[in-house]
Amino acid sequence: MPGFLKEFLNRNGTGMGLAILGLVLFWTIGLIILPQLSMLDFSFRPNLPPPEIGGPKDVYTLENYKYLVYGPEGGSQDYNVVDLRIFFRTLIAAVCVTIFNLILCYPIAYYLGQTKGNHIRVFALMLIIPYWINEILRAFALRIIFGETGVLNTVLVGLGVFDTPFDFIRNDIALYAGLGYAYILLMIFPIYNVIESLDHNQIEAARDLGAPWWRIHWRVVVPYAKPGISSGCTMVFMLSAGALAAPQILGGPSSLWFTQLIYQQFNDNNDWPQGAAYAIVLLVTCILFVLAAMRLFKVNMGDIGK
Amino acid sequence: MNTSFLRVSVWVYLAIFFAYLLGPLVIMSVTAFNSSEFPRATPWECLTFDWFSALFQDQRILNGIKNSLIIGLGTVVLSVAMGLAGALMLTQIWPKLRATYYTIIIAPILIPGVVLGISTLVFWDRINRFLGLGADSFLSNGIFLTVIGQSTFIASYCMLVLVARLQRYDVALTEAALDLGATHAQAFRKILLPFMRPAIASAAVLAFLASFENYNTTTFTFGEYPTLTIELAQKVRYGITPAISALAFIIVVLTVFFALLNEAGIKRKEVVAAARRQATVGEMTGKVRLPGFFTGNAAAVVLVVFAIATISVVGTATVYSPAQCIADVKEQKRLEAEKRIQELRKKREEQRKQREAEQAEQGEAQQSAPKPSNNSGFGNVFAPNTLSGEGEDDAPETDTDEQPSGGNGGFGGAFDPNSLQSPSD
Repeated sequence: MPGFLKEFLNRNGTGMGLAILGLVLFWTIGLIILPQLSMLDFSFRPNLPPPEIGGPKDVYTLENYKYLVYGPEGGSQDYNVVDLRIFFRTLIAAVCVTIFNLILCYPIAYYLGQTKGNHIRVFALMLIIPYWINEILRAFALRIIFGETGVLNTVLVGLGVFDTPFDFIRNDIALYAGLGYAYILLMIFPIYNVIESLDHNQIEAARDLGAPWWRIHWRVVVPYAKPGISSGCTMVFMLSAGALAAPQILGGPSSLWFTQLIYQQFNDNNDWPQGAAYAIVLLVTCILFVLAAMRLFKVNMGDIGK
Repeated sequence: MNTSFLRVSVWVYLAIFFAYLLGPLVIMSVTAFNSSEFPRATPWECLTFDWFSALFQDQRILNGIKNSLIIGLGTVVLSVAMGLAGALMLTQIWPKLRATYYTIIIAPILIPGVVLGISTLVFWDRINRFLGLGADSFLSNGIFLTVIGQSTFIASYCMLVLVARLQRYDVALTEAALDLGATHAQAFRKILLPFMRPAIASAAVLAFLASFENYNTTTFTFGEYPTLTIELAQKVRYGITPAISALAFIIVVLTVFFALLNEAGIKRKEVVAAARRQATVGEMTGKVRLPGFFTGNAAAVVLVVFAIATISVVGTATVYSPAQCIADVKEQKRLEAEKRIQELRKKREEQRKQREAEQAEQGEAQQSAPKPSNNSGFGNVFAPNTLSGEGEDDAPETDTDEQPSGGNGGFGGAFDPNSLQSPSD
């Protein structure tokens, strides 16, 4: 290793080399690795007032994780039904949002990737503009639309679809639409990048050989676009499972998102170790889930982020 | 399959898709000009610009913008520096370590923002305590924590942008500079940096936008320096007003403006390049020509139209006064509310009569067989719900329906909280 270090410093000059090395080490170790380890360590500790931290009571405990599964000690139920239900609902809803986004975005990405012309630039611009607008404001826009006196209800009641305004917010439809809306771009661009490099002749060849359009997609385009699809799905899944703004603004009053529980532990209950434990559970579950899905669909880790 | 049918369905799909994408922003922008207290596009009341002045008088919003700018600046500097260092490292690192290193620096993009915020908060709190500093030290300062927390993942974005350009860099250029006697720092500043400048500029813009709109990480780290996004989230969660739509409208306009500006710039370069190639042909054709900037540049034309529209709207706003219209709408609303109250009263009266009739029929049967929970013989008058119902918004309606013998039926709907509320909405 010192040989490598010496060569590195030789190549970049001592000053420049040290600056690069310092920044990279600060970023990888100081900002990425140590804080995560610190949070992991913190999640195994009891919630103590500041003077007692480091004292005799500051020992490792599984208390915070037990709380998620079994609930408060001496509670009326065997399991922490409320929190666990929120946890699984969050995961399932994130999967649904991912699938919805994939179905919605795949045709667009295919169209943008395989069509030539000036209007494609306009479409790309129209795709990016909403993404530059604040996340909160995007959720707010959807809330205006889905509200009880919102545009959608006015239109639907006016058309006679519903007699009374339908409560989109309480039924979480607004939330799912908002989450899907927030991450459209993250789904389109990876798929678009891959499909753009697909030689159109391959599609022509399949068509000449008599394949119907759905088979062309199933046997030619989708296998080719797999890396893009998987990185898009991974991003959308991770981000919607970890979303906080959309559930806070668009979520129904009776249904919480798991991140909202974490937020409550930190800001309302002031129980940081508990919140850290919940965050660890969320992080680890999401990573395991993504790895499992990638194994299921036979995608390599190296393909992600291409 | 029929090609024309396929083409039509593609365009229909595109239309639906972009309606989903842009529709919310358009409707939100429209609500900024409606005088209704609640942001809505329908029913349209009056055209007003008051929400913009309300916005600019909001100290919290202005303060949030200031904090956002400071934090954005810090994040841009830190994350572009770390991203560049990370990218340089990636091109040189020992091949066996490369995959691990890449995974580590790409991971923050995938880690939920909430987790990043928490880990930053916990870690620096610990460092702070380890160093024996107080609660008001630099390390627990909201701006510092937010910059650090945001840079963790924004640096990954920057790294991706920078590494894409760095891969096209010819290392021989640096080597040539070194051979000619430049120091490493000089070679970096005079050779590599100019080459990287476009990528650094786009990474900086990206970093600033990402920092400006970040919520998930900032919400844990902001401390006493709430950013604009945090203030907006507070406002949206606890009562929304069209002033937020006004802010959104401004942001939408700015975004479109800069996007068009950028597009026009790119297009202009292309047009100039094309014109150079065909200079002779261009001079031959004696057509009427737009000023040079506009030729074949749709984006520039749109940009100018857009700017003129904005200026004229602002001009109208300074002279336009919707007071009369607002007064009209208020009057109309008052009449409507009165009518509604009348109707409600009538309905209550009818209900009461009906109930009395029913009571007369069932009265005996009910007293002979009281409910198990109510054995006092006083009917339901002393049931807890009867009293608590008075204080709740939605209770009276259901309560009186369930309890035929209730004592508050005689007042009709006059004391129903709903009837008092209805004039105000």
